[in-house]
Amino acid sequence: MTRKARGATAVAFGLGIALAASGCAGGSSGGGGGGSADGAVTLTLWENASTGPGVAFFTNAAAAYHKLHPNVTIKIQTVQNEDLDGKLQTALNSNSAPDLFLQRGGGKMQAMVDANEIQALPLTATDKANAGAAALAGNTIDGQVYAMPFDTQPEGFYYSKDLFQQAGIAAPPTTIPELEADVALLKKINVAPIAVGAKDAWPAAHWYYNFALRECSQATLASTAKSLQFTDPCWTKAGDDLAAFLKVSPFQNGFLTTSAQQGAGSSAGMVANHKAGMELMGNWDPGVIASLTPDQKQLPDLGWFPFPAVPGGQGDPSAIMGGSDGYSVSKNAPKEAFQFLEFLETKDQQELYAKAYDSIPVNAAAQSVVTDSFNISSMNAFNKAAYSIQFLDTEYGQNVGNALNTAVVNMMAGKGSAADIVSQTNAAAAKG
Amino acid sequence: MSESLGTDTVSGSQSQGTFGAGGAGVTASPAPPRAAARRRGRARMRLEITLLSGPAIIMFLAFVIFPVAVAAYYGFYRWHGYGPATDWVGLNNYKLIFTDPAFQQVLWHNLLIVVLSLVIQGPLAIIMALLLNQKMRGRGLIRVLIFVPYVISEVIVGTGWSLMLQANGAMNDLLGHIGLGALQSDWLADPNLALWTLMAIISWKYIGFAVILMLAGLQSIPDEIYEAAAIDGASFWQMQRRITVPLLGPTIRIWAFLSIIGSLQLFDLVYIIWGQYVSGTAGTSTMAIYMVAQGRDAGNYGYGSAVAVVMFLISLVVALIYQRFVLRRDLRGAVTEGTV
Repeated sequence: MTRKARGATAVAFGLGIALAASGCAGGSSGGGGGGSADGAVTLTLWENASTGPGVAFFTNAAAAYHKLHPNVTIKIQTVQNEDLDGKLQTALNSNSAPDLFLQRGGGKMQAMVDANEIQALPLTATDKANAGAAALAGNTIDGQVYAMPFDTQPEGFYYSKDLFQQAGIAAPPTTIPELEADVALLKKINVAPIAVGAKDAWPAAHWYYNFALRECSQATLASTAKSLQFTDPCWTKAGDDLAAFLKVSPFQNGFLTTSAQQGAGSSAGMVANHKAGMELMGNWDPGVIASLTPDQKQLPDLGWFPFPAVPGGQGDPSAIMGGSDGYSVSKNAPKEAFQFLEFLETKDQQELYAKAYDSIPVNAAAQSVVTDSFNISSMNAFNKAAYSIQFLDTEYGQNVGNALNTAVVNMMAGKGSAADIVSQTNAAAAKG
Repeated sequence: MSESLGTDTVSGSQSQGTFGAGGAGVTASPAPPRAAARRRGRARMRLEITLLSGPAIIMFLAFVIFPVAVAAYYGFYRWHGYGPATDWVGLNNYKLIFTDPAFQQVLWHNLLIVVLSLVIQGPLAIIMALLLNQKMRGRGLIRVLIFVPYVISEVIVGTGWSLMLQANGAMNDLLGHIGLGALQSDWLADPNLALWTLMAIISWKYIGFAVILMLAGLQSIPDEIYEAAAIDGASFWQMQRRITVPLLGPTIRIWAFLSIIGSLQLFDLVYIIWGQYVSGTAGTSTMAIYMVAQGRDAGNYGYGSAVAVVMFLISLVVALIYQRFVLRRDLRGAVTEGTV
């Protein structure tokens, strides 16, 4: 008899281990924000800044909001950037989602909307004015906004002004032929003209995206997002442009196995250590570059210029590609969750956010805090842009984006053509 | 997840309940006391076996069988990882897998890695084991040095080699300094070289395991046989060829089995050194890399699950065929030993 009881204990014990290890324990990320009788609400927010100012911003914002609204407590949880997507997916599927979380946007956001896992945000006129139309457009699906954007990340070239000067380049290039000429000049002073981290694929693919932004009209970019059929000749033309550009060998040796952000040997590290003249990246790059300089301070001569114009392209030469960091509200979150996002979009909070993240706030009233010359350059380009579009691997969803990235790397490795990019991307659409 | 897990384990414990009762099939006829005692003993033995193996069985069900079943289920859906899977596509995922040239390519890479691992590591490991089996100075140290790479984690090995083999890395630098600049190459990205680079790293890392196995096998060969051969005038190499290698057979076959299964599932080294995108162009991508790229990174979790099922079936079939035809003699001894 006792033996039987012991057996039950053993089984229960094993079961306990199995359950604990299988991550069914939702941890502290209880969904739905605990409401209680006295109106006290506890919200959970997942963000991906793991150190320093980013975490401090959210912690301080939560404290400030609690002061204004003593019934609302916000728990800030840091989730490592690379772990975020997987953890979010698990949490959303198991109904233990955080009330607020960093939204990657694009196809991932579309999947969450399709699965009815996030709320459409009831924006007021004030919210819309704070966020700005351009940034909201990138977070809109079928006329509804699903994420509150905090900053904008216009993509362009981060370059070393010192190296450009040494190479005798008077002003940043404005057309592709000028860029090719600058590549030749930089080679003469024995630095890699352009660094690219093709091992991660997306940094290489961004070259193709930007050529496509110049070759394809805004209407084509938008209609392709719906059809996911890359039939317009501009897509092939963009690939041809990239192939032609590759002929001048603009990238560092071994660019195919260089990572984008890890260590001094990465593409960002090469810019940080004056081993490369420039890098095409979104505006998180200065932060990465600063962390990879020998003294871990920002490169004093870092500058920014937009992707050059492509003669004869259908796209507007001022158009900008870029993402934005926004936050979504999960489906069971109480209304206070959205109210906290509204609070974060106000001028004061946006200023603090921009300082903490060294980024460009979407709230125009807060943009005066941007002081770094590279950020001012990219902000001006963004404000002047005829239109802006999300990075294509976000805009067109993970499935097609992944195929695009792979196909571009293949082409850069000499194993494919512009036509292959189009055909492989069309083939991928069949799987998704 | 938790629900199905719960039912899974509950049914497990129920079956154990009936299993543990043991008295279900007992007849009521009065039996001689010794037989009754034996029956009680048997029932008790069953109960103990149940208690001791129960937790392990539950863990196995939860972490092996259940995920396999879930993957098989999702493999029939087009599913992007959010919300329940509703878009039933039947065998369409499997059709796409087998018609995808990229999958045929990774399958071919896997087969190459399987064959090359056996051909490169096997003979080398046997020769090293033969040498290390002789009495010589520093034998212990050499054994340790050969075994160390096997103990280091794949991620660290991958990161280290990846840094050394970059186009501007330590390897090319070294070649330049010792006057072999002509040999400098892009070890990782050059499609003609990358697979051989991978094989060199795999061999360096896993040969320690093979050598240790072979050494253990050598220890079990009785000295008398060698003495008899020596009296008959056999040379050292004759002894190795006619005595050692044949008697090492079971060890070699088991090692080859582990090596084949490992090669079929190779993922971490390739992922760390090449990443999933460049491995395709370099010719080092494997089925597991394809699964992660098509499943997690493309967000096609249904398709990725189908790839996982295909990998599982390939490994299972290979394992069964191998056991049936190659390991039959070795296993027969192992299985019958317990009852003798």
